[in-house]
Amino acid sequence: MKERSSGIKHEVWQRFSRVAAAREAIIFGVAIGLFVLFTLLSDGRFASVRVISILAISAAELGIVALGVAMLMTCGEFDLSVGSVSAVGSIIAATLYQLGLNPFLAMAIAVGGGVGAGAINGLVVVKFGIPSFITTLGTMMVWRGFVSILTEGYTIIFRVVETHPAFHNVLQGGMGVVPAPLIWFVAMIIVLMLLLNFHRFGNHVFATGGNKEAARAMGINVNKTKVICFMIVGGLAAFTGVMQLARIRGFQALQGTGMELMAIAAVVVGGTSLFGGTGTIVGAALGVLIVTFIQFGLIMAGVAGFWYKFVLGVIIIAVVVINMAVERRRKI
Amino acid sequence: MKEVPLALVEMRNIHKWYGKVHAVDDVSLTVNEGEIVGLIGDNGAGKSTLIKILAGYHRPDEGEIFIEGEKVRINSPSEANALGIETVYQEQALVDLMSVARNFYMGREPVKRAGFLDKQEMNKCMVPLRTLGLSIKSPDLLVKNLSGGEKQGTAIGRALYFKARLVILDEPTRALSVKGVQTVLDLVRGLKEVNIAVIFITHTLHHVHDVAERFVIMKNGKVVNEIKKDEASLEELTEVLME
Repeated sequence: MKERSSGIKHEVWQRFSRVAAAREAIIFGVAIGLFVLFTLLSDGRFASVRVISILAISAAELGIVALGVAMLMTCGEFDLSVGSVSAVGSIIAATLYQLGLNPFLAMAIAVGGGVGAGAINGLVVVKFGIPSFITTLGTMMVWRGFVSILTEGYTIIFRVVETHPAFHNVLQGGMGVVPAPLIWFVAMIIVLMLLLNFHRFGNHVFATGGNKEAARAMGINVNKTKVICFMIVGGLAAFTGVMQLARIRGFQALQGTGMELMAIAAVVVGGTSLFGGTGTIVGAALGVLIVTFIQFGLIMAGVAGFWYKFVLGVIIIAVVVINMAVERRRKI
Repeated sequence: MKEVPLALVEMRNIHKWYGKVHAVDDVSLTVNEGEIVGLIGDNGAGKSTLIKILAGYHRPDEGEIFIEGEKVRINSPSEANALGIETVYQEQALVDLMSVARNFYMGREPVKRAGFLDKQEMNKCMVPLRTLGLSIKSPDLLVKNLSGGEKQGTAIGRALYFKARLVILDEPTRALSVKGVQTVLDLVRGLKEVNIAVIFITHTLHHVHDVAERFVIMKNGKVVNEIKKDEASLEELTEVLME
């Protein structure tokens, strides 16, 4: 028998949780809807194991970076340099490997380099008070220029499959039908969600992005919080670069171009505010799925490739409008 | 000889320049234990700068601060908190997009292992809030959904919970409804009851006249007058202020 006397309190609570869950639920619905739509339009090919595996790998590469970007944007900052930093990570790993270093060690150094690049972004932003949009636009060009100068247009070969199969398996192997990049993506979702939603640091991120002055008045080191967020993004970008390197088995200077805006698009579609203070890791992951579905779905459906950006743009604006309406009504 | 009790806080000959602007000009301010002091002055009189020095937000260019007779240097808001000084800034005390509980413990989060938030402990913020007579439904409610009075109450409850000895309220009644103002004034009296001193900054005299015991009036970075409540009626005080 159902209890009816639980009363108004229970009802109010239910309404709260409904609105709070709505953000992710709407985005999840859009992702499922797109998947079904593209499956129908492609006579079922979109839902084949092979395509799903390609989607998963592609989503993971954009997604791992996007998760970091979501946290950084929650903190109130942007990073346009992630694509270039991922290329820097790639070239560090590829070069060190060619010099005879163990690829695991090369990857660790590459990720360290990414963290360092993030620290530079963060320190320039907080020490000189330059908006991150401008700072990272600058470092985006600096790092892209740097890798172009180093490679002089040539491709650097990275063939670890023969020499270090274990390394290749960790980044590009997998368990059964589940590709390794997807496992990494899911692991990063869990780690960053724990950090943002359940850790003290996450509370500082929300406070810094939501009201910098209040956070500072309560003794939170907002500059440190921001720099750490930049470092996390840099490390994740470099890691993605190495992962791409292992997949493509070589590096060329344009690798990762355009990743920055795709990541921001995915994060915003996922419900993270452009103005800081609100952000969701799960939403960002779903946003990445949406972006990836559109990217591949249109091709599978036989729509000319140049429609991709058009459709993506329309969807970004539509989802953000819906999100803002939901955000206004959010209670918890 | 009569023994004079040491003041809870004494700021002595404080100066602060912003470039060529002498924002705080040789100001001395004393607050005794459990005393409610009204700090009054127009915008730009130097009240906020003075208070931000005490709150650890700014460093004075000259002058000294004593807590119960002991000289201290307050280099950051957390150092001020550690000395028992809590500040509730106008409109910047809380983060609207965060929950009541997350705001309450902002910067001082109770954690379990490895820095993970102790949510159960955080829900205890409801106790001081109820003590203050606030009926906030849930610790998970976003602060943007609170009324103005409830927001001030949450910030004041935070000060109470963290064992403040002096609470600085920066324009706490600004932008509040009549009911909200009453809530805040009641909260201030509540603090007095538990022997917490209050500096109440305002430029609306009649809000502070009800609760304060002493008024310090600032103008152009200087303290121009100090009046005890029993020495002046609201009318007389208004006249002093208009001079």
